[in-house]
Amino acid sequence: MQWLTIYKKEMLEYWRNFSWVWVPVVFILLAIMDPLTTYYMPIILDKVGGLPDGAVIELPQMAATDVLMMSLSEFSSIGVIIIVAITMGIIAGERKSGVVELVLVKPVRYANYISSKWAAKLTLILVSYTIALLTSWYYVSILFEEIALLAFVQTLSFYALWLILVVTITIFYNTLLKTPGLVGALSVGTIIGMTAINAIFSHKLTWFPNNLSSYIRQLLHTGEIPTALWGTSFVTISLIVALLFLSFYTFQKKELA
Amino acid sequence: MDLIQLLAPIIILELILAIVGVIAWFKTENTNGPRWLWLLIIIFITILGPILFFIIGRRQ
Amino acid sequence: MFNIHNLTKKFDGTAVVKDVSFSLSPGNCVALLGANGAGKTTTLRMLSGLLKPTSGKIEFEGMRPGADIREHIGYLPQYPIFHNWMTGKEFLVYVGQLANLTKANAKEQADYYLERVGILEAKNQRIGKYSGGMKQRLGIAQAMIHRPQMIMLDEPVSSLDPIGRREVLTLMEELKQQTTILFSTHILSDAEEISDSLLLMHQGEIVESGSLVELRDKHQSAKINIAFKGLNEEFIPNLEAISDVSDVIIDKNELICIVKDLEKARQSILAQANTENWPLTKFEVSQTSLEELFMKVVQN
Repeated sequence: MQWLTIYKKEMLEYWRNFSWVWVPVVFILLAIMDPLTTYYMPIILDKVGGLPDGAVIELPQMAATDVLMMSLSEFSSIGVIIIVAITMGIIAGERKSGVVELVLVKPVRYANYISSKWAAKLTLILVSYTIALLTSWYYVSILFEEIALLAFVQTLSFYALWLILVVTITIFYNTLLKTPGLVGALSVGTIIGMTAINAIFSHKLTWFPNNLSSYIRQLLHTGEIPTALWGTSFVTISLIVALLFLSFYTFQKKELA
Repeated sequence: MDLIQLLAPIIILELILAIVGVIAWFKTENTNGPRWLWLLIIIFITILGPILFFIIGRRQ
Repeated sequence: MFNIHNLTKKFDGTAVVKDVSFSLSPGNCVALLGANGAGKTTTLRMLSGLLKPTSGKIEFEGMRPGADIREHIGYLPQYPIFHNWMTGKEFLVYVGQLANLTKANAKEQADYYLERVGILEAKNQRIGKYSGGMKQRLGIAQAMIHRPQMIMLDEPVSSLDPIGRREVLTLMEELKQQTTILFSTHILSDAEEISDSLLLMHQGEIVESGSLVELRDKHQSAKINIAFKGLNEEFIPNLEAISDVSDVIIDKNELICIVKDLEKARQSILAQANTENWPLTKFEVSQTSLEELFMKVVQN
């Protein structure tokens, strides 16, 4: 009941501050930019001109699965930054402004407060992301070749884990610090750090969350779920759950002054 | 297919973003920094302008 | 019903609240009086559960063990911050539901208190458009929404203009009938006006407490203010010679005689003034006030 109250209030806020419009729109732009520009590259080059008459433009034909992966990689870079930016103030902002005082003097369970906000933000992000990836899938299918529904759904679901992890990391820093900007910087820093760790130890850390993308690429190529993807998903989910519980704990320990 | 087909969906989405940005701008009384500057940013910097306004332009 | 035992709060090793103990009984209106920085806000924030005491105990009689104390209290911070994008009513329903009211009940209570605090006509306006006084009243409504047994108000009137101040004080006077009120203030007259008893706080400690009547009895003594045409000082020896005058203090334009027995002192002074034909320009009987007690405590 209390959980749902906070969840609904967050949803209302996303309507009032236009998040439900701009986040899906921006995500769709992110997702369709690459399929469209890749397909139309020859025409763009032609229009831009500068090539001598009779020159034949030969561009390697991209595989449909590679184009879909390009959409995902936009999410891994710009998408992550946007997700962190819209999540960095979710608790820190309320603490900084002081609204949190009026909320937490009511008998609100800290775990409810955090998990409902976490779930609300995930709803916004995952719905937007799903719409965006569906659009990308549609364009890839008409401009390149069809990707099987099953493979698409698997891609969508496994990659969602990465986005959930990003949100959870940002929520965790929210419970630790009061300044949204700092929360954002640390969250992005952590994700970059994880990428670096993964690059250095890539042979040993086969189940590291950052490997999700490369296993998804394999999945799209072979049509089968690589065993390592299950392991990586398991590690990612465990990390999400652990971080969430750690967030409850740090928030409880923290003075809310 | 022609270039216009490439641009059509992107232009439509950009327009939605800009229009919603302007509506949000109208409803926002307190902006971080000069209010009129944000209007220019929303209208003239495509895609990035409205995003910036939505993320850092508005105060509580 | 509310017992506070040896409450202490340290920030980085420095005690801001030291060993504070007191009890509140139901239906009381208690003022926590003290200068800025005396530790009033820290005390209230500990009682409301926003801060954790370094040591000490807060007990609420009749509470199930392990139950959440926040169910029984309402709290209004000195500068309440709301979600400005919500309407006044939406906010009240929201926090009402957070306090485990059903939605229907929360709506009912919200309307009741919006009317009670006098902002019913603004219930569907965004809080961002509210004035300071309206926000303060909304703040009182949110503290009351779940009908707590006690509400704590941190400097409820100090940021308001004289009219807003009057309105909020009147409102508190009414709410006294319904719930226990503990409010902090740095202004003695506000405390005297609506509270039944006082907790005087200085440098993190409760230095004096009791009902207003008790404190007045304890700290008030009669005094007679006298002024003469010419030099007041010349008459000090004469006054000191009168047996019922225990002390003579030189004030700006007058002499203050602290007296043991007001009746006797008045008669003796007037009789002497009559026989010796003193050029009296002022003769005033009054009492030392709590203000002087407050000043004495704060200055030490």
